[in-house]
Amino acid sequence: MDNLNILIIEDDEELANDIADTLITNNYTVVGIASNYKDALTKYYQFSIDLVIIDIFLGENPEGITFAETISTIPNALKPFLFLTSSKNRQIFERAKLTNPFRFLLKPFNELELLYAIEMAIEKFYHQTNVFASKSEDTVIADEYLFIKKKNTLKKVKLSSVIYIEVENRYCNIITEIEKFVIQIPLSKINEYLNDRLFKQIHRKYIVNTEVIQEIKISENSLLLKNNHLIHYSDKYKDLIKGFCILK
Amino acid sequence: MLLKKTLLLLSFIYCCTVISQKSTIKDHAFFFKKMDSLNTIPNNLLKVTSLFFNNQQWDSVIVYSSKALLNKMQKPHLYYFNYMRGSSFMRKNLFREAQKELEKIPNHFLFYNKVLYALSGVFLEQNKFKKALLYLKKIKEKELSAFDEINQLSITNDIGVCYLHLKDYKNAQLYLSEFLNSIKKKNNTTETSEAYTNIANLYYEQYKDSIAISYFTKAYKLAQKTSNNELKRLTTKNMAVVEENRKDLLKAITYRKESEKWRELVYNQEKIYEVSKLEKKILEQQKQNEINALKLENKAKSFQRNGFITSSLLLFLLLSVGAYFLIQKNKSHKIINTQKTELDLLNKTKDKLFSIVSHDLRSSVNLMQKSNTKLIKNIEKKNYSSLNTIANKNASIASSTYNLLENLLNWANIQTKQLYFHIESIDLYSVVQQIEYNYIPLFENKELNFTNNVKQPSFILADLDSLKIIIRNLLDNAIKFTPLEGKINCKTSIDIKNNATLFIIEDTGIGMDEKMIKELLLESPLLSRKKNQQEIGTGLGIQLCKNLAVKNNASFNIESNINQGTKIILKFPNV
Repeated sequence: MDNLNILIIEDDEELANDIADTLITNNYTVVGIASNYKDALTKYYQFSIDLVIIDIFLGENPEGITFAETISTIPNALKPFLFLTSSKNRQIFERAKLTNPFRFLLKPFNELELLYAIEMAIEKFYHQTNVFASKSEDTVIADEYLFIKKKNTLKKVKLSSVIYIEVENRYCNIITEIEKFVIQIPLSKINEYLNDRLFKQIHRKYIVNTEVIQEIKISENSLLLKNNHLIHYSDKYKDLIKGFCILK
Repeated sequence: MLLKKTLLLLSFIYCCTVISQKSTIKDHAFFFKKMDSLNTIPNNLLKVTSLFFNNQQWDSVIVYSSKALLNKMQKPHLYYFNYMRGSSFMRKNLFREAQKELEKIPNHFLFYNKVLYALSGVFLEQNKFKKALLYLKKIKEKELSAFDEINQLSITNDIGVCYLHLKDYKNAQLYLSEFLNSIKKKNNTTETSEAYTNIANLYYEQYKDSIAISYFTKAYKLAQKTSNNELKRLTTKNMAVVEENRKDLLKAITYRKESEKWRELVYNQEKIYEVSKLEKKILEQQKQNEINALKLENKAKSFQRNGFITSSLLLFLLLSVGAYFLIQKNKSHKIINTQKTELDLLNKTKDKLFSIVSHDLRSSVNLMQKSNTKLIKNIEKKNYSSLNTIANKNASIASSTYNLLENLLNWANIQTKQLYFHIESIDLYSVVQQIEYNYIPLFENKELNFTNNVKQPSFILADLDSLKIIIRNLLDNAIKFTPLEGKINCKTSIDIKNNATLFIIEDTGIGMDEKMIKELLLESPLLSRKKNQQEIGTGLGIQLCKNLAVKNNASFNIESNINQGTKIILKFPNV
């Protein structure tokens, strides 16, 4: 599990440092603090970023919105972002609202408000709301990562590093190359949001990463995966495997 | 028209006979009927020609029939044209052409009898009595039907006249007396007179003067009874000739004169016709003039009418334009009025803000100043023991002033509709937790026991920031009115029927009475001022909460008993 990489765009140095400190204490990684539009763009493309915190006003102008508008024009490069603002001025908000999906946080804010806003921004960006606040779920599935809530913070797991997923009631065991952990997510959500080109369900309980299949043991009705994980597949999902074999 | 040729006997007697060739066009009824029934291709031409024939426009008949004859046509139809053409030639006194035309018609033509009759007429006109007699005899020998429309009597008369001219007196007498006898039966004065004249001529030719004269006299007398001037002239002239031959010149002269008179009358009649024709023309001209005048008048009238219409249209346009402007004016008046009321409201709001700022904010800042002065004095005196309490007091003054300012700002934002509002799914537990985070020092300060018993998670539909403002205000109030070591509890309960969540903030504070609750819940933008209260408060907080609750589609309620605490209940719609 990795920390989330966050870029802070804030011209108030004191506030920026405050935010950075808060984030670091809550196990987030601050990849950089940008104080203007140009700097922000450079850093945005320089680092691998999971979320951007943007102050709407950089100096006198709402350059933060301009930045959001700029990154919104390139859909694949777009990452979740969170606006910071000290006033709910209607005109500014009408403009900011156009950079959908957007979240904002009203200044002044405390630690909890910031963390909650970050979670909401992630949820909203990946269209899976009411996840992190609920008791029954703790994971948002993105294209490349799983975002998992651990206590007060969010963690990410690269999907390509997942070898297989074992479903057990409301829980899922995630087995990656280096670790094993439990997340809370219903199977229906996995089926809806998980990249189905990469992952296939082969059993009522198992979903495997097709990239890491080493061997298909037809006689044993099982798959040998990376790190010598042997997973049994059931007849119900046999066709899936067969189709997959022919393709290979 | 009667074809009546007076034949002046060029023998020594100079008496006149009358032939009764009456080929009137009226007698052609069957002829026209038959022609109408002919269904030919150039039927039009036939119709036109027959129409001209019927109207006795001989020249036109000749022109159209020649056209028809030039077109190659079915034989039987051709004969109609031949007949009409021949007859027209005869009327125009072109006897040779008439004869040619009529002789072209073969004897199987339906109206051959008519053709024969016309031919006899042609010869009679030319005084070729022998030939005429030949044709008349031919007709006489035939069985004549009503279809032929030829008067048997006139044939008899004509034959008689022919014989008379051919000096075959025996036969002449036979036919003429037959004619006379038949005519007498018919009691027709004119025809009887004609018959008498012819008989008289017959006897006169034979020099049977006395009988002849008696007939001439009879004819003369009968003629006087008629209105036929030509007949009168003829008989009178005959009388004159007879008297002259009797050498009774006196009588002869009177007769001559009388005859002259009749001739003049005939002539005059013609003149009268011409005059009347002229008069007719003049009348027509006058009528035409009148028509023209009327036309002009009409034109003038229509011009007038058009003018009226145009002017009325213009008036209408003017009126509608006026009405439009009036409506526009009214509209703008309305707009101005609504704007005025809006402005009034805004002005009131502004006044209120000013009053709050001038009174509450001023007093609170003033309090702060005093406290600070005290603090400085204490520091100067190095009286450190009291510093802590003063600093704490300062902090609480600052925080309550900040809250006041915040509320003022939010309230102003709502009033001026400047607040951005976005309802979404929010977890109530997290929000309470976040707010609690800031209030921990305050609770500790008053040793209050705060518990967040909101069910986790509680997703409601609300605008996050306005929800925070509401909760903060309610917590502020709870802290304010709850004595030391009191309890403040946040909890939720589910209203399944309305799919809503009840959010309750309860305290163990001083509470309030019914009157106070009513006053607070009153739908009034006016801010009530709390009396007997040392703490700064304007009631602005509760007003703000109520307003924001309405905007969040939430209900706002208060349950309280004096000294037993207060319960604020908000009902939010669920996700």
